[in-house]
Amino acid sequence: MAAIILRNLSVHIPIFDVGRASLRKALLGRAIGGRLAESKSHVVVKALRDIDLEIHDGDRIALVGDNGSGKSTLLRVIANVYPPTSGTATILGRVSPMFDATLGISMDATGLENIQIAGTIWGMTRAQIKASIGDIVDFTELGDYLKFPIRTYSNGMMMRLAFAIATMREPEILAIDEVIGVGDEGFFEKAFARLSRLIERSQILIVAAHQDDILRRMCNKAVWLSHGKLVAYGEIEDVFAARASDGGRGYADEDAPRPVEARA
Amino acid sequence: MLSNLSEVRPSRLASLPPKAIAPSVAAPRSPAAAVLSQELIAGFQAWPVWMVMGWDDIRQRYRRSVLGPFWITMSMGVFILVLSIIYSRLFHTRLEVYMPFLTAGYIVWGFISASTNEACNVFQESGRIIKQIKLPYSVYVMRVVCRNFIVFLHTIVIYVPVAIYFKVVPTPMSLLAVAGLLLVVVNQIWLTIVIGIFSTRYRDITPIVATAIQLLIFATPIMWMVGSARSLQLVADFNPAYHLIELVRAPFLGMAPQPLSWIVGIGMAIIGWGLAAALLVRTARRIVYWV
Repeated sequence: MAAIILRNLSVHIPIFDVGRASLRKALLGRAIGGRLAESKSHVVVKALRDIDLEIHDGDRIALVGDNGSGKSTLLRVIANVYPPTSGTATILGRVSPMFDATLGISMDATGLENIQIAGTIWGMTRAQIKASIGDIVDFTELGDYLKFPIRTYSNGMMMRLAFAIATMREPEILAIDEVIGVGDEGFFEKAFARLSRLIERSQILIVAAHQDDILRRMCNKAVWLSHGKLVAYGEIEDVFAARASDGGRGYADEDAPRPVEARA
Repeated sequence: MLSNLSEVRPSRLASLPPKAIAPSVAAPRSPAAAVLSQELIAGFQAWPVWMVMGWDDIRQRYRRSVLGPFWITMSMGVFILVLSIIYSRLFHTRLEVYMPFLTAGYIVWGFISASTNEACNVFQESGRIIKQIKLPYSVYVMRVVCRNFIVFLHTIVIYVPVAIYFKVVPTPMSLLAVAGLLLVVVNQIWLTIVIGIFSTRYRDITPIVATAIQLLIFATPIMWMVGSARSLQLVADFNPAYHLIELVRAPFLGMAPQPLSWIVGIGMAIIGWGLAAALLVRTARRIVYWV
């Protein structure tokens, strides 16, 4: 059983400019009495605000919203990477995040070595990695190139390998951030088929993307975020309709600082 | 979540209610024990992960080079040879005394200084992983210590021909080197945690550490011997780096380290680990936002 239960969840991301991150500022701030409060209050981006959300087995969630609406932050909370600033996040089930298809890819290592490194980082055993290599060879069609350092690969070859590596695990909760829509047309269909099989095996899917047609093919529900707030959650067509009738604005919250997706 | 980690965790936390076992993140700060079990112990247990990462770092650094990590051995060996010839005359010390002393001290110093310098970057260098999957923070710490220990094992080779040539006979005391080395590594791990956390939050720590390391090599009896200037004994005794080096160097030279060195080494480990644990409990929820 897998579940994602968010209660009153807020995530504030501190932004330290060069000056404020430095020790000198902290020390000086402490020495000069009046500035203490100011030096302690760095800029905070309220990336998610008071989110209440329950996701259960079988839910295939499309995560939509403008750039900077908090999609990536929410996915990082679900991946247990971002601890909430307030509220609670209960994540039941093994999460496979797919935020950056090139995780663990080192350019001077061979394709096979990269599969090994990434698999180990994902927590797979040696036997599990070995078992999945055949599948990766089939999918990537890279053949003997897998024994070459990957800096010799073309972009397309690299993308195939990265995608194959990112999809080598058996997840219970699959969280994807904009990694679809890569490579050439033929590869896209192949990648989509592989992703679909992975989605079938996982109990919960949550995917952030901007292409509605792709989301419709993969998902049954949708979460619409705007300025870090949850605007709507429900059947995918209902949410998309609501968004269309609203012109996609969501909350036009002028007072609040515009949340920024922390990608760096 | 890592499958091998989540397998390990429930058994460790078997006494806790089921809610605590679930890999959930709750806003109220988790009890210190749970944080330490998740961020420290689980990471040490995930040794395949940091061993693979550490090895890959070494392979990356020396990919396509014929000698590989033995370049460090070569350059350190040449450095030690040249320095020994010049300094032994400068200090009026016999070469057969000076060179084994310098070699043993310098290779231990190489491990301590390189690990400490790289500790500043421990979380930033793994930033892409930290922002994508939740691994215990100690995994990244062990990655740094592990790869520097691999380098250390390559440099230790230098001591063998030196010891043979100058007939430094191993004694039963030489076995103490293993215990000394263990204590050095144990201290290096907490130091990496503490420096790592501070330098992730305050980016000025990196140059401070680099400067301190540069000063320490001159302020520590590595290239000079305490015996050559008695008044310097005090400088050495108040220098923790001296005691750590002595714990390995003295056994290498066939002697037992001073009791004071054991006391300082063990004392540092106890205080340092307390500090590292307290710091980790305080900051574990925030490090990811600082990276």
